[in-house]
Amino acid sequence: MTGPLLTVESLCVDYEQRRAGLFSSRARTLRAVDGISFELAEGETLGIVGETGCGKTSLGKAILQLVKASAGRVIWRGVDLARTDAETLTRLRSELQIVFQDPLSALNPRMPVGEIVSEPLRVHAPDISAKERQAAVAAMFERVGLRTEMTRGYPNEFSAGQCQRISIARAMITQPRLLVCDEPVSALDVSIQAQICNLLRRLQRETGISILFISHDLSVLRYMSHRVMVLYLGRLMEIGRRDELFDNPRHPYSRALIDAIPEADPNQSPLGMADALPGEIPSALDPPSGCVFRTRCPIATPECARERPPDECIAESHRVSCHHWRQARSQ
Amino acid sequence: MSPLLEIRGLSVRFDVGDATLTAVRDLSFDIAEGQCVGIVGESGAGKSQTFLAALGLLAENAKAEGSVRYRGREILNVPRRELDTLRGRRIAMVFQDPLSGLTPTLRVGRQIEEAARRHLGMNARQARAKAREMLETVRMPDAEHCLDAYPFELSGGMRQRVMIALGMICRPDLLIADEPTTALDVTIQAQILGLLAEMRRELNTSIVLITHDLAVAAGLCDRIMILYNGRLMESGTTSEVFTSPKHPYTAGLLASLPSLASDPATDLPAISGQPPDAFVTTPGCAFAERCLQVMDRCRIERPVLAAHEGRHAAACHLNTK
Ligand SMILES: Nc1ncnc2c1ncn2[C@@H]1O[C@H](COP(=O)(O)OP(=O)(O)O)[C@@H](O)[C@H]1O
Ligand code: SF4
Ligand code: SF4
Ligand SMILES: [Mg+2]
Repeated sequence: MTGPLLTVESLCVDYEQRRAGLFSSRARTLRAVDGISFELAEGETLGIVGETGCGKTSLGKAILQLVKASAGRVIWRGVDLARTDAETLTRLRSELQIVFQDPLSALNPRMPVGEIVSEPLRVHAPDISAKERQAAVAAMFERVGLRTEMTRGYPNEFSAGQCQRISIARAMITQPRLLVCDEPVSALDVSIQAQICNLLRRLQRETGISILFISHDLSVLRYMSHRVMVLYLGRLMEIGRRDELFDNPRHPYSRALIDAIPEADPNQSPLGMADALPGEIPSALDPPSGCVFRTRCPIATPECARERPPDECIAESHRVSCHHWRQARSQ
Repeated sequence: MSPLLEIRGLSVRFDVGDATLTAVRDLSFDIAEGQCVGIVGESGAGKSQTFLAALGLLAENAKAEGSVRYRGREILNVPRRELDTLRGRRIAMVFQDPLSGLTPTLRVGRQIEEAARRHLGMNARQARAKAREMLETVRMPDAEHCLDAYPFELSGGMRQRVMIALGMICRPDLLIADEPTTALDVTIQAQILGLLAEMRRELNTSIVLITHDLAVAAGLCDRIMILYNGRLMESGTTSEVFTSPKHPYTAGLLASLPSLASDPATDLPAISGQPPDAFVTTPGCAFAERCLQVMDRCRIERPVLAAHEGRHAAACHLNTK
C-alpha cells in the first residue's frame, strides 16, 4: 500500500444559522470544522476527541460526504470525493460506513433487523441473489455476536448493546474499508461498552479496516486508537501517536483534557479539579480571535489573541497548533 | 445517633398495562450525617427511583413499600404537604438535566429570589442579595449577567451551577445529585465535581451522588453502594470497594473500565451478556446469568446483604460459604 488511504486537506464545514428577527432575518455562518488536515493509513484507528460542538461529528460526516465541505478536500484512495462523478462516488460509498451514538434511533423501527442489515447490500450489490444476501446477513450476525435467529426481530426487541451490534453489522456488510464510529459506546452501559470496544477491535484485526473513532471519553479513546487528534471549536489542537499524546501532550488543551479525566481511583480528589480548566467553551458562532483556546488557556499571551497559531510539526507524525508549545507543561 | 436517612426494605413497583415492573427490590441502607455516598449502577438499576420514592416524587403508576426515615421520622408515603417542609429545605435534589428543574420563562435571578423568599422568608431586597451571593458561592462566571439570563441562554455547566445554587440556598442536610455531570463535557464535569466537593467541605452537607460512572464516584464519595437489577450488590467504603471488591459484578465492572493505565494491546475483560429484565424476578442471584463464578446454589437461593451495618459486604454466596 503506497500513500494513505484517506487524506483530509484543510477541510472546512460551515452551517448557515438563520436568526429570524421581527423585520429581518439575519444569516450567520457557524464554522463547525475549520481547516483540518490529516491522513489515515490502512488498518489504522484515529481517535478524535473534543468537547461538545468541537466539530467531531461534522468532520466525520464531511468525510463521508453526508454534509458538504465549504472548503478543502477529502481524498479517498486517490479520488477527490467532492469532485468525482456520481457513479464513482456511489461505488466508493460502499467502502465508507458510519456507526452512530444512539443505536436505537439509528435503526428503522418498522423493519426486521435482518432486513436492516441486508439493506446496504441491496443498494451496493444489487446483483447477488436473495439467498446469497440472506447467507451474508446470517454470517454477519454471527460475526458481531448475535444469533442468526435474531434477524426476524424488530429493533425495539433488542437492548441498546444488541442494537449497536446490529448497527455495526449493517455498516460492515458491504465490507467497507473505513468505518466512522461516532460516539459508538457513549450511550451504552459500562458493562456493555467493553463488549462493543472489543468487537470493533476484533473486526479491525480480521478485516484490516481503518477506523475514525469519535469519542468524548479519553480513556475509551486511548484504548481504541493508534493515533489521537484533539479538536477544539472546529480546529485541530494536536495530533500524534497515542502514547506520545498521552505521555507527552504538548498542547495546553490536551493536557487539561487528560487532567480532567476522572479515574476509578479512590485517592483522586476532585477538590482542585475545578481549576484544571476554568471557564466555559465559547460559542462557535463567535469564536475568540487568534487561538480559539486562548480564553481558557493558562499560558496565553497577547500574541495568542492576535495570531492564529500554525499547525506545527514538532516530531514525526506529531503536530501541535500552539504558539507556546515549548512552554506547555509536559508532566 | 440515628442516621440521616434510614432506608429499610424499600421496593418500588410500576404498573404498566397488565404487567408489573419492579425497579427497586427490598433495599436497605443508611446515609450517615456528613457522608458522601455514591449510588452506582447501570441504567435501570433503580438508582433514581430509590430516591424519588424517598422524596415522594414517584410517577403516578408507581407504588413504594418499606420504610424511609429522615432523622428517625418516617417519610415514605406520607402526605405531600408533610414532605414539602423537607424538600428544598432539608433535602435538595439536582438532576442530570438542569432544565427540568428550572422554569424556562423566568430569569435565573427571579427563580433563586423566589426560593429565598419562600424558604427563608426574605424580603425582595434581601432575596436579590441572596441570589447574587448564591451564584458567587457556586462560582458562577459573571454572576451579574447570569441573574438576568433565562435558563436556555446558559450553558449546561452554568445551568447545573444554578441548580446547585437553588439546592443549597437553605443549607440542606442532604443534597441528592442524580447524574449531575453526565450531560457535561469532561472539563466542565471536573469543575462541577470540584464544586460539589467544596460545598461539602464548607457546608458539611451530606451528598448522595447517583451515577453510572464509577470513576466519577471514586473521587468524591466516602462510601459506595453498587446497585444491580434494583438490588444492593455491594456496599463499603470507597477504597474497600475499589481496591478489594467482594462482588463479582463490582469486580467485573472495575476490570472492564478502560483507564489511562490499562494496556491497549489486550482486550478489555468485558462482562458478557445483558443486564436482567425489570419485569422478571428470579429466585436466585440477579447476576447469576453473567457471573463467571456461578454455583448451583446461586440460581435457587438469593444472597442477601444488609448494608446498614456499615461494614464492607456483598450480596454473594461466595462471601457466605
Ligand atoms: N414511569 C415509569 N413507568 C414504568 N417504568 C418506569 C417508570 N420510571 C422508571 N421506570 C423503570 O424503573 C426502572 C429503574 O429506573 P431508574 O431508577 O430510573 O434506574 P436508574 O436511575 O438506575 O437508571 C427502569 O426499568 C425504568 O424503566
Ligand atoms: S496559542 Fe496561546 S492561547 Fe493558544 S494554546 Fe497556545 S499558548 Fe494557549
Ligand atoms: S451469588 Fe453466585 S452468581 Fe451471584 S455473584 Fe455471587 S457467585 Fe455470582
Ligand atoms: Mg437515573
